[in-house]
Amino acid sequence: MAQAATKGVVRSVSSKQGTQREYESVTILRPATSKPEIAALIERMQGMFGDFGGRLIKIDSWGTRILAFPVKHERKGIYLYWRYLGGSDIVAEFERLMGLSDKVIRFYTVKIDDDVDPEARPSEVTEELLEAASDPGPDPEELARKAAEEAARRAAEEAATARDRGDDDDDYYGDDDDDDEEND
Amino acid sequence: MSDDMRDRDRDRGDRGDRGERGGREGGSSRRKRFAMVADKNLVLDYKNPQLLKNFLSDRGKIVPARISGLSARQQRQLTKAIKRARMLALLPYTS
Repeated sequence: MAQAATKGVVRSVSSKQGTQREYESVTILRPATSKPEIAALIERMQGMFGDFGGRLIKIDSWGTRILAFPVKHERKGIYLYWRYLGGSDIVAEFERLMGLSDKVIRFYTVKIDDDVDPEARPSEVTEELLEAASDPGPDPEELARKAAEEAARRAAEEAATARDRGDDDDDYYGDDDDDDEEND
Repeated sequence: MSDDMRDRDRDRGDRGDRGERGGREGGSSRRKRFAMVADKNLVLDYKNPQLLKNFLSDRGKIVPARISGLSARQQRQLTKAIKRARMLALLPYTS
């Protein structure tokens, strides 16, 4: 009971009473994590925020990205950005749950603001935002490969048209301008 | 000892082969800066790795303020942001 009363409270003499802290966390999920699995993770965390007197303000998916170095043998990861309000113990609980999840390969939390009035900070979380956040997004390697294929195809087409034009040029002599363009 | 002689001694002792570049004092203190540093509202945030990448060397090292032209405060923000971005595998530790 006594513990329930301290939920969502910042236990610090330097902070104002009745205020909370604002934190942001970035989590990296395994690239094989499916959309329902991400949605389940978000739902579980929202339940935790409720239990701990905190509130999720924003959640955003940065999509699947290629990592700068392998993390837990993964070369890619799904980045998920969370912004939330809470008391002293919310980060410890957030990170405990993230550590327990086998989908999460890395997480990092930063305190953004102190002495935040929870009433003055409305939550931006909507159904659409949750839906968008649980989307892992396209594979960056797949995108890069498609872009390369597209570029190669376009280059081949251009080369073909240039060749055709070159054949036409042979019909009439002395047209130096077109030759210059081909060299470019 | 004339001023000229003293200058020459100092060049030989402290600066070694960089002596010919002496004359910074007295001359203009114009420093070459990175283009984006001219922006007054430059925010160095770990969530913007594309911006931070400009302040890394080819080997992934943080470029000194002497080269980038950042103020001391901005350089402190930069190192913090880059180190945070490295934790999140947005930027390399080395490459």
